[in-house]
Amino acid sequence: MDETLSKKRAVRKQKKKTPMTWSLIKSQQQLIWMSVPLMLYIILFAYVPVWGWTMAFQDYKPARSFSEQTWVGFKHFKFLFTDDSFLRVLRNTLGMSIINLILGFTTAIILALLLNEIKKVLWKRTVQTISYLPHFLSWIIVTGIVATSLASDGIVNDILMRLHIIDEPILWLSEGKYFWGVVGASHVWKEVGWNTIIYLAAMASIDPALYEASEIDGANRYQKMRHITIPGIKATIVILLIMSVGHILEAGFEVQYLLGNGLIVDWSETIDIFVLKYGLAQGNYSLATAGGIFKTVVSVTMLFIANWTAKRLGEERLI
Amino acid sequence: MGVMSKSLLRLGTILLLSLSVILAGCGGGDAKSNGNKKPEQTATGNSDGKVEPFEISIFIGEAGQQPTPDNKVYKKIKDELGATMNFEFLAGDIDQKLGVMIAGSDYPDMMTGNTKLTAAGAYIPLEDLIEEHAPNLKKHYEEYWNMMKDPNDGHIYILPNYGVFNGKLNSSWYAGPAFWIQKAVLEEFGYPQVKTLDEYFDLIAKYKEKYPTIDGSPTIGFEILNYDWRNWGLLNAPQHLIGHPNDGGVVVKDGVAELFADKDYAKQYYKKLNEINSLGLLDKEAFVQNYDQYMAKLSNGTVLGMFDQHWNFQTAEDSLTTQGKLERTYVGLPLVYDENIRDHYRDRAPLNLNNGFGISVNAKDPVRILKLLDTLITEDWQKILSWGFEGEDYIVNEEGRFMKTQEQRDNFTDGTWKLANKADTFFKFAPKIEGSFSDGNATDAAAQPEEYKAGFKEYDRKFLEAYGYDSYVDFFSEPPENAVSYPAWTIDLVEGSEAKVVNTKLNDLSTKYLPRAILAKPSDFEAVWNEYTSEIGKVNVKAYEDRINEQIKWRIDNWSK
Repeated sequence: MDETLSKKRAVRKQKKKTPMTWSLIKSQQQLIWMSVPLMLYIILFAYVPVWGWTMAFQDYKPARSFSEQTWVGFKHFKFLFTDDSFLRVLRNTLGMSIINLILGFTTAIILALLLNEIKKVLWKRTVQTISYLPHFLSWIIVTGIVATSLASDGIVNDILMRLHIIDEPILWLSEGKYFWGVVGASHVWKEVGWNTIIYLAAMASIDPALYEASEIDGANRYQKMRHITIPGIKATIVILLIMSVGHILEAGFEVQYLLGNGLIVDWSETIDIFVLKYGLAQGNYSLATAGGIFKTVVSVTMLFIANWTAKRLGEERLI
Repeated sequence: MGVMSKSLLRLGTILLLSLSVILAGCGGGDAKSNGNKKPEQTATGNSDGKVEPFEISIFIGEAGQQPTPDNKVYKKIKDELGATMNFEFLAGDIDQKLGVMIAGSDYPDMMTGNTKLTAAGAYIPLEDLIEEHAPNLKKHYEEYWNMMKDPNDGHIYILPNYGVFNGKLNSSWYAGPAFWIQKAVLEEFGYPQVKTLDEYFDLIAKYKEKYPTIDGSPTIGFEILNYDWRNWGLLNAPQHLIGHPNDGGVVVKDGVAELFADKDYAKQYYKKLNEINSLGLLDKEAFVQNYDQYMAKLSNGTVLGMFDQHWNFQTAEDSLTTQGKLERTYVGLPLVYDENIRDHYRDRAPLNLNNGFGISVNAKDPVRILKLLDTLITEDWQKILSWGFEGEDYIVNEEGRFMKTQEQRDNFTDGTWKLANKADTFFKFAPKIEGSFSDGNATDAAAQPEEYKAGFKEYDRKFLEAYGYDSYVDFFSEPPENAVSYPAWTIDLVEGSEAKVVNTKLNDLSTKYLPRAILAKPSDFEAVWNEYTSEIGKVNVKAYEDRINEQIKWRIDNWSK
C-alpha cells in the first residue's frame, strides 16, 4: 500500500513545476482568498508571540514598556545551563519522555491490533470505551487515584501481598528507581485507549480484499496481523512518531509535580517544574521564557532529524 | 460576470465572518471590562435619592465557592449600600494565574494582597484616599499606619485583614503551630503535664505499645506532612523547641536573623525523629503522602501526634467531632527541649501584611469602593459580618452578652448554610475589628468566653477540668509583647532577587535531605546530616539573611513608636 503511495509521489516529483503566473493566480483566487483567514490566524497566534522571546534576554519586569526593560544578554540561559540541578532535570525529562513515548506507542498499537481482531462489535465497543474514558480525567484526579492505589494499604500492595509476591508493602513513591515506571504506567492507563483510536481508524481503511486473498493463501490470524495490518498502518505510525519526537522535552508537568516528593526529587523533577520553581514562582518570567526557548529549539531540531531520517528510510514523512 | 460576482460576494462574506471571529477573539478582554462597568454607567441615570447600585469585581487568591445569589448578608449590603460583589476565585496555580493577570494588566476592581501584584504596580496607593474619604478606616488602622507601608516605596497598598485589635483580647481557640497529641493519650496516663520533646515521645511510645491498633487500623505514633507548600510540619519545629516564636526560616535574636536549618538545635530535633523512626513510631508513609492522604489518616483517628498548625488540620478534627470520636481530637502542646526554656508558640497576632484587600489600578471608582469598606468597618456592620443577624443567628441575653443556641452553632459549622447566610469570602479578607466591640462582646463567636464554653461537649469539659484550665489555649504560656520586627516570615524577599532564589534552594534542600536523614539507619544519620549542611554551605545563605536583616532594621526604624 505504501509502495503505491511513494510511486505516486515519485511521479509527482517528475512533473515539471507549473510557473506562477497571473492567470494561474486569477484562476485560483478563491482558494487564495480562503486561505487568508488561516494565514492571519497563524501569524497572529504562532508568529506574533515569538516576539515575546525577547523577554529571555532581558530582566523582564511586568507592566513596563519594551523600551524600559533592561537587556542582560544570555544571563538567564547561563543560569539555566550552569545550575547544578539542570542536567539532572534534563535527564529526568528525557528519561520519562522516552519511556512515555515507547510505552505509549507499543501499548496503543498492541491494543489496536487486539481490538481489531475482536469480531463481536458490542464487546469491542465496550472495551474501547472503557479504555479511553480515563483520557477525559484531569491529571489531578489521575494522580490522586495513583497515589491512593500505591499507598501502603492501597490496591497495588494489597494484590501483590495476596499473591505472595511481596512480604510487606512497598512504598512505591519513596524510591527514585520506581518513579519513572510509575509515571509511564499512569500515562499508559490514562491514554492508551485514546491513542488507539487513530490506529483503529487506519486499520479500518485497509482493503478487506487483502485479508480475503491472504486467507485463500492460508494465512492464519498472526500472519494476517504481521503482513497486512501492521504494514497497513505503518504510515500512520511513522507520522505520529515524528510528531511525538517533536514533543520529546514535554514529559509532562502535573504528574511529576503532584506525585513527586522530597525523597525522589532527584528522579521526579522535570524542566517544567524547574522553570516553575525558579521562573514563574519567583516572578522571573525571563528565566521561564529562556526555558521555553530551549525546549522549542530542541523540539524543532528533533522534529527535523526525525523527518529527515524517515525520508532517508523511504518512509512517509511530515514535511 | 454575474456568477463571478455572486461567488465573490459569497467569498467576501466568508472572509468577513472569519475575520470577525478572529477579531472578536482578540477584543475579548476589552469587551468584558466594558461589560463590567456598564451597570455603573447606566445607574448614574436614576438619581431618586436612593443609593446608586454599583458592582465590584473581586479576585480572591485562593480557591473558594460562590455565595448563593440570595445570600442574606450580600443582599443587605446591596440594598443599603448599593454594592454588588462579583467574586472570581483562584482555580489552579496562583503564580500562573497572577502571571497571566499581570501580563495583560487585566485586573478586577479589588484583589487580595500579593507581593507579585504589588511588584507589578497593580494596586493604587491608598494613604491619601483613606485620609480624605475613609475616617473609620483611618481610625481603625491608626496605630498600625506605619506598619502598613510597603517597605519598598512607603505607600500603603493593602488593607490588612487580621492583626488590628480593639478592646480586650479574648482568645479561646488556638490556630497556630504546636506539637499535637490525641486527648486519649493524655487521658490514658492521668492527664500529665507534658513539657519536653522526650516526655512527649515517651507518652506516644507507651500508648502505641498498649494499643497497637485503633478501631482496627494500626496506630500511627507520629505523623509529619511535607507536601508542596505545606512543609512546615517538617521544617519549623526546631525554632519553637528553643523557645522561639514562628519567624519562618530564621531565628531572630536581638534584631539579628540567622538561618536555623543547619544549626545544632535543628540537628537535635531531626536526630530525635531519626530515633523515633527506628523505634517504629514515625509513619512509614510520612514523606510519601500528599495532603489528602494526611488528612484522611488524621480523620481516621489513628494518628497519636504530629507537629502542625491547627488551621491546617482543622477539617480533619471537625470530622472526628462529627464521628463522635472526641477522644481522638487533639490538644496542642508547647514543647521545648528542656523545662527551663519558656515556650513561645502562642503569639500576639501580628499584622499580616501580605493578606487583605488592595484596590487595583483598573478600578473605575476607587473612592466609592473605599467608602464602602469604610462603612463596613463600623461596628454595626462588623456584627452582621461576624455574628450575623440578631435574633436569627445569635441571641442577646439579659446581661447584653451575645450567645447562640445549639442550632445556631450548628449552622455556623455547616458549609452549605454559610454560603447562603454569611459573607465569609468577603469578610475573611476585609478589614475587621478583632478583640471586642464597644459593648464588651467579643468580635468573634469562638472568642466569646461563655459562648465558647457553652459550646463544649461533655468530654472536653471533663478534660479541661482535669487540668484545671478554662480552654485549650491555657496549655500555652501567655505570649509576651511582640518584638517590633516580628514576624520575619512576612518579609517580602522581592520577586526575582537572589534572596528569593536562595530561599527556594534552601527549601528544595530541606525537603530532599531531611526525610533522608530521618529515615536513615541511626548509624548513617551523621553522614546524611553532614551532606545536608555542606549542601547548604554551597548556597548563598548570606544573601537571604542579609535581605531579612535589612528589613528587620527597616522595621525597627520605621515601626517603633
